[in-house]
Amino acid sequence: MTQRVDVELLDRIRPRINSLVTENARRLPGLRYCDVRIQVREEKGAVAENGNEKASAEDYAFDFGVRVIAGDRASAPGYYGRILGSADVDRVHEVIMEGIRQAHQRARTNARMKSQARRRFGALGESLADARLAPVRIAQDTVPATYRTDPRTVALEDSVKMAVDACKAAQGVSSQVAYAAASSSTFMLRELFCSSEGADIDQSFAQTEGFVIAICTSEHGTLEIYDFTGHQRGWEILTEGYDNGSIVLPDFVTFCKNLAADGVEVANSPPLRPPDKPVVVVTDPHFNTLLVHEVVGHPSELDRALKYETSYAGRSWFFRDMADNQMGRQIASPLVNAFSDPTIEGFGSFKYDHDGTPARRAYHIREGDFEEFLNNRQTAAVLGVEANGSFRATESSLIPLIRMTNTIFAPGDRDPQEIISEVEDGYYVSGHRVPSVSEARENFRITAVKVYEIKNGQLGQLYRDGGITSDSRDYFMSIDAVGNDFRMYPIPNCGKGQPMQAKRMSNGGPTMRGIARLTGPGG
Amino acid sequence: MPLTPLSQLKRTVRDALAYLKTQPDVAEAEVFASANGNLTVRLNYTSRIPSNAVEEPKSLESYGLSVRVAFNTPEGLKTGFGSEPTDLSIEGVKRALEKARRGAVLDTEYVSLPKPTGKRPTLSRYHDPTIMRVSNNRMVRVGWQTVERALETFSTSEDLLNLAGSPQGVRDLGLILGGDVVMLQERMAIGSYHMPRVQTDESTLLMAFTTAMLEDQQAKGSGWSVSSHLSGFTGESGAEAARNAIRAIDGQRVPEGAYRVILGPQTLTEILEWILMASLQLDLFYAGASTFLGKFGQKVASDRLHIYDDASVPGLAASKSITDEGLPTERTDLIKDGVLVGLLSNYYEYQRILNDPKGRDKLGADPGEITQAIAPRNGFRTGRGGGRNFDSPPSITPTNLIVEGTEKYTHEELLRMVGDGLYIGRIWYTYPVNGIGAGDFSGTVVGDSYIIKDGRIVAPVRPNTLRMNENIHNVLNNILGIGAHRNGTVRWASDQVTWAPEVVVDDFHLNEIGGYMTEVF
Repeated sequence: MTQRVDVELLDRIRPRINSLVTENARRLPGLRYCDVRIQVREEKGAVAENGNEKASAEDYAFDFGVRVIAGDRASAPGYYGRILGSADVDRVHEVIMEGIRQAHQRARTNARMKSQARRRFGALGESLADARLAPVRIAQDTVPATYRTDPRTVALEDSVKMAVDACKAAQGVSSQVAYAAASSSTFMLRELFCSSEGADIDQSFAQTEGFVIAICTSEHGTLEIYDFTGHQRGWEILTEGYDNGSIVLPDFVTFCKNLAADGVEVANSPPLRPPDKPVVVVTDPHFNTLLVHEVVGHPSELDRALKYETSYAGRSWFFRDMADNQMGRQIASPLVNAFSDPTIEGFGSFKYDHDGTPARRAYHIREGDFEEFLNNRQTAAVLGVEANGSFRATESSLIPLIRMTNTIFAPGDRDPQEIISEVEDGYYVSGHRVPSVSEARENFRITAVKVYEIKNGQLGQLYRDGGITSDSRDYFMSIDAVGNDFRMYPIPNCGKGQPMQAKRMSNGGPTMRGIARLTGPGG
Repeated sequence: MPLTPLSQLKRTVRDALAYLKTQPDVAEAEVFASANGNLTVRLNYTSRIPSNAVEEPKSLESYGLSVRVAFNTPEGLKTGFGSEPTDLSIEGVKRALEKARRGAVLDTEYVSLPKPTGKRPTLSRYHDPTIMRVSNNRMVRVGWQTVERALETFSTSEDLLNLAGSPQGVRDLGLILGGDVVMLQERMAIGSYHMPRVQTDESTLLMAFTTAMLEDQQAKGSGWSVSSHLSGFTGESGAEAARNAIRAIDGQRVPEGAYRVILGPQTLTEILEWILMASLQLDLFYAGASTFLGKFGQKVASDRLHIYDDASVPGLAASKSITDEGLPTERTDLIKDGVLVGLLSNYYEYQRILNDPKGRDKLGADPGEITQAIAPRNGFRTGRGGGRNFDSPPSITPTNLIVEGTEKYTHEELLRMVGDGLYIGRIWYTYPVNGIGAGDFSGTVVGDSYIIKDGRIVAPVRPNTLRMNENIHNVLNNILGIGAHRNGTVRWASDQVTWAPEVVVDDFHLNEIGGYMTEVF
């Protein structure tokens, strides 16, 4: 007999999962640590294209992942992940115990081979260390979701209507909108984390999101523009929007209309012909959202700094090795402050990460000096620092990675209009589009939705297909004004890991002024 | 845990079709059942920082079924998709059907579920049974084999010993080995009202991609391998990466400018997959977002260039017998003699463009007259790093993407063609910075790259010191020569394999970056 899968299911299985991890798993030979993560997500969503309904779905997701650290002479990790279904509800403990055994076997084999390699490779084997986790406060807690309209109570028809109306709103802006698509979704997510150390953490999240893309035509060619809205709240995010001062989201229909209007305006503008020298640029909060994401947040992830991502997501120019790194050194103008903080309200908020570590603020740049990496228990132990709770997976069946949370440039005290008005000859760079960042994040090129000329303190001609490029440190050292107009935006799809995980988080910042080269069309 | 047997998937599809036939509102239906294993061993060895070397030996397993259904309703024909994990019984079919029914929408562009093409699959029993039942021990061992081959290469290198003075000194150069070995296990069965005979397929894929560094020397090298079989796997990509890192010692900065370059296989793959391929898919033409809008049948590249996709080639790593829509795989020529001659498609997009009143304008040709060029040969259900996932509707996915030239030059002939220029062997973060339609792209040169003088490689290029700022049309039209030898090349988070040669491109724009890094470390 199959049973319905809903978030309440975790209430029924939680005590037994806890005992599996704290009792049964601990009896496995050589096991030093084990954790199990399980999630249930109840979701619904719809897609519309060119004003017509295309798809809708109401479904659940249910999966689990296991980490084991085991070994005799040496210790090493092993993992296991699996998608579950309603047919597993009655046997979930057996399935998870089998997953623990699989992860344990992998960890033991891994440890044995590590021990052999350590002996075989002499000096090169000396760095093959035991897998260790930094100590954290072991928590037992239940964290409820925050919402006004429970995603589970939203009728699927309302989700379809929202996608269709929003899509029509985008397309209705102009006949120059040749194509538009919109999607709406809302879900309730509940995650359980149990560890052999006794952690037993149950966190719930309500999440509501919308995405829109428009293809706009003009004499200058087509222009594709897309953006995303959303928050850790209920369905009200799309129907009413949201405003808490730093997170300002219009309702979804207005959001789509605004995006299409921007697209048409930009499509009709002439392509930017960038001057062949660095210029003064004033960047707006939306542009700085992507800048802080790519050029501060990513290189502040300690797994990159410790070379885990050398082959794919890249390293960090903040860290060569234990003796040679930027910790405590100036990397930006003293006006620049940047931090990650999952305890403030945002798209990347939580109370505990997927290591079970209590969340806290981590300053990356304080008054221009680099201070702290985002880490997990394993990398914190390597560096000999306190774990700061930044280890998160997209799904429970996938292994957590060190991730940004709500990662932002902190606001300054300047009026943004004043920052612009002081520029005699420069450019205003508004709205982020597409990044291309160098491997250790020491250089970037990021394109903008809009680039305006600034002449004598006034915004002038609008250009399309523009952006800025710079070496990262040079740009941050050049910052000479930071606005008080802080805004934070949701980022829905930060890619990292293998297999790739697309993670949600917030980024943001205020208006800032610096010096960079402009980029234009044609490569 | 053992992958669900093919016989069980087949039985599920057969029983599901029989059940669906009893449902009066079901006008047509398709059932897809699959089981997938993604076994990934992530590697991270560092000689100066404590590491596990084999960092993540892991797997992600899933199985289940899905239905695509067209329902007769008072409002008209509605289409829906529903899936159910881990329940291959009729109970699971009922749940999936109910989800499809609840989510069904009035899609005015829907024509029908896939219908038979009259052709038959040409591949059979091409997967690797060893990968299908690989043990935990063997999985972990492929990771350690790769690490050990790299460490053997580092520890026996006379160049490194001479540079560092002692084995301890070699360790202190800051050796890194990163990357992964991925094994995909895929089983699927499909049947529909239009194709009631249940078809099955089994595929396996082994991909290794590794990067080695001597970080103090800013020397980086790559190694990779792809295969559908595990036999013969020795971890060679680790050794290759280490050798290439050693070869890259004493990398130099080069001034910015427009260069005649050889794009190595990884570089070509990255540009094709991130920048070009989206524009060769039918859905991008429908949306008006392809960079080749209205250019079907026109010259879009050097007449030396041929690009085609073919999942039906025996022995190629990404080959499959049938698509995840139950249609036989076949070759699709995309660019031939520099002319745009075909597009990748699935059945939905194929039908949609045939009925699109603007189809001729979007393509540059009457869709009804080029049906073979846009036939649905690439409807696959990828996700979770590859696989044939029961819970995804079919999208358009390349398989074996094959690049070849009219003339087939040797590596030495290509070097001579360049004369003075650069070999660009590995690039990174190559994105369409002004959108797919514009064709502009940027990315950085991160390793395996060299200075060419008088037709010979004379010195490595220092990684992370050059940024490409280019446009795909310039690159395609400035091709001067294409090598005879092709490498199976993979990229991050994809199970597509590009069989890429070295290609000479003229007037390739590069800018210097990261000058301050020499002061930083």
